Amino acid sequence: MSQPLIEVSGLAMRYPTGRMALTDASLTVNAGELVVILGANGCGKSTLLRCVAGMLQPTAGRVTVAGSPISNLTGQRLADARMALGMVFQNANLVKRRSVIANVMAGTLGRHRNWKTALGLLPHSERPFAERCLDEVGLLGFADQRAGTLSGGQAQRCSVARALAQRPLALLADEPVAALDPEAAEGLMSLLKRLAHEDGLGILCVLHQPDLARRHADRILGMKDGRVLFDEKPSDVQEVAVSALYAKAPLETLPA
Amino acid sequence: MLNTASVNDVLPGAAQARRRLHPMTFVLLFLGAALFLQSAFVVHARPQDLITGAAGIADILHRSFPPDFAGLPDALWPALETIDMGIFGTAIALVFALPLALIAARNTTPAKPLYFLARGLIALARVVPDLVWALIFVTAVGLGPFPGALAIVIHSLGMMGRLFAETIEDIDMGPVEALTMTGASRLAVFSHGVIPTVMPSLLGITLYRLDENIRSSLILGFVGAGGIGFQLLTAMNLFQYRTVSMLLVLTFIIVVGAERISAALRQRIA
Ligand SMILES: Nc1ncnc2c1ncn2[C@@H]1O[C@H](COP(=O)(O)OP(=O)(O)OP(=O)(O)O)[C@@H](O)[C@H]1O
Ligand SMILES: [Mg+2]
Repeated sequence: MSQPLIEVSGLAMRYPTGRMALTDASLTVNAGELVVILGANGCGKSTLLRCVAGMLQPTAGRVTVAGSPISNLTGQRLADARMALGMVFQNANLVKRRSVIANVMAGTLGRHRNWKTALGLLPHSERPFAERCLDEVGLLGFADQRAGTLSGGQAQRCSVARALAQRPLALLADEPVAALDPEAAEGLMSLLKRLAHEDGLGILCVLHQPDLARRHADRILGMKDGRVLFDEKPSDVQEVAVSALYAKAPLETLPA
Repeated sequence: MLNTASVNDVLPGAAQARRRLHPMTFVLLFLGAALFLQSAFVVHARPQDLITGAAGIADILHRSFPPDFAGLPDALWPALETIDMGIFGTAIALVFALPLALIAARNTTPAKPLYFLARGLIALARVVPDLVWALIFVTAVGLGPFPGALAIVIHSLGMMGRLFAETIEDIDMGPVEALTMTGASRLAVFSHGVIPTVMPSLLGITLYRLDENIRSSLILGFVGAGGIGFQLLTAMNLFQYRTVSMLLVLTFIIVVGAERISAALRQRIA
C-alpha cells in the first residue's frame, strides 16, 4: 500500500440536463488497496467511476491514473490510459450473442491492436489466460455457453473475468455483487481483496451492502449528494454515519 | 385501482364524446371522397374502355397461348443474368452499406459532419429509383447487365444503409462502452461489440433485399440493362406473344423461387 494509483480531487459533474451529479469529490486509491464506496441511489457513485474511467468529461476537478491526468486525454493516449483501468459495470455489459470465453478474451483487445482484431477475430493466443480468469470467478465450466444465457450473477462474474483479462493496474467495480447470492457475493469480495493484497491492484468498488464493506474493505468512503462525507478504515466507521448516508432530508422524501 | 370502468366514472364526458360522431369525421369523409374523385379524373378513368377493350385482351391472351417453350433454351442465359444482377448488386451493396451505416448511425458515427454526409448519400441513393439509376448507367457504360447491376448496387446501398443504421442505433451501448474501456481500437470495438449483436438482423435485411433486387433486375431490362426484362421488351415489340408468355412463366418461377429461398433462409437466422 504505497503509491497512489487513482487520485481524484475537486471533481464536479453537471449533466447537460443541469443536474449536478458530483459537487466536490476527492479520493485516493493506492496500489494493493480495496476501497469501497457506500451511498444512496443517485448520489453520484456511477458518475464518479465514469469520470475516473475517462468516459465522462467532468465539469471541474482532476483525475490522475498512475500519475498521468486522464480527463483531457483523447484518442490513442486515452485508450492507452484506459488499459490500466479495468471496469466492471453495474449491468455486466456483455456481448450477449458471443460465448463467455469470447467475452473474456475481448478484455485483451487493448494489448492486441492489429488488423486481425480490427476485423473481429479474437486473439486466440490469449485463450489459456482467459480461461484462468474465468476460473478465478468460478465460471470455467461455462466457457462455451452463450453470454446471453448466463444467469444474472454469472453474467456479473463474467464481466469481472473480462476486466481481469485486461491485466489492469486498477479495477473500478460498480455494484459487482448486486445480482449475486450471499455466498457468491462473499466469494467475489474475497477475490477482490486477494487481487488487491496479493497482486497489488488498486480497487475502487461501489456496494450497497454496508456489512460486506465492513468485512472486506481496507477503507470505506461514504458519499452523499455528490460529495465524499467520510473516508475511514472499516473499524472507524460509525454505524450512525452509515445510516445518515441513506436517510432522506425531509424535503426530499417523496409525496405519498 | 385504475380499471376502465373507474376511468369512465371519473371522466364521463370523454366516454360519451367517443360514442357520438365527431363533426370532424364528416369533414374527413368528404375530403377523402374528394381526393378519390380528383384522382379518377386525373387518370382519365373510363370503365367503359375496359369493356370495349375486353375483346382486345381476349385476342392477346389467345395469341399468347400456348407459351412457346421452344424458345426456352435461349432465355436461360438472360434468366441467369437477371438473377446474377440481383446477387452481384446485393453483395457489393452489403460490403459498402456496413461501413456507411456505422458512419450514418448516431451512436457509432466518428464525427457529426461525417454523419450528415453519410445520411445525405444514403438519402440520395435511396430516393432516386433504381430504374433511373439504370438509365444513367446504361448511358454511361452501355447496354447489358452490368449497368443494371450497378443500378442495384447504388439503390440497395441506400435502402440497406438506412435499415442497417437504424438497427445499429437500436443497440444497447453498454457492451460498446465496456470494450472501449479495454483500450481496444475503434474498429475493434465495432467489430467485436456492435457487429455480433446486429449481424442476424443485418443478414435478414440483406436476404430480403436480395429477393427485392432479383425482382427489380427483371424490370431494369426494360431500359436496356440486360436479362429477362430485355428479352420481354424485344418479344413485345416484335408481337411474339407466345414468347412473352413463356418469359412470364419463367419470371414467375424466378420471383417466387427467390422469395421462397430468401424467406426460408431468414427463418433459419431468426
Ligand atoms: N446521462 C445522464 N444525464 C442526466 N442525468 C444523469 C445522467 N446519468 C446520471 N444522471 C443523474 O445523476 C445522478 C447520479 O447518478 P449516478 O448514476 O451516478 O447515481 P448512483 O450513485 O450510481 O446511483 P445508484 O446507486 O442508483 O446506481 C442521478 O440523479 C441521475 O439521475
Ligand atoms: Mg450506479
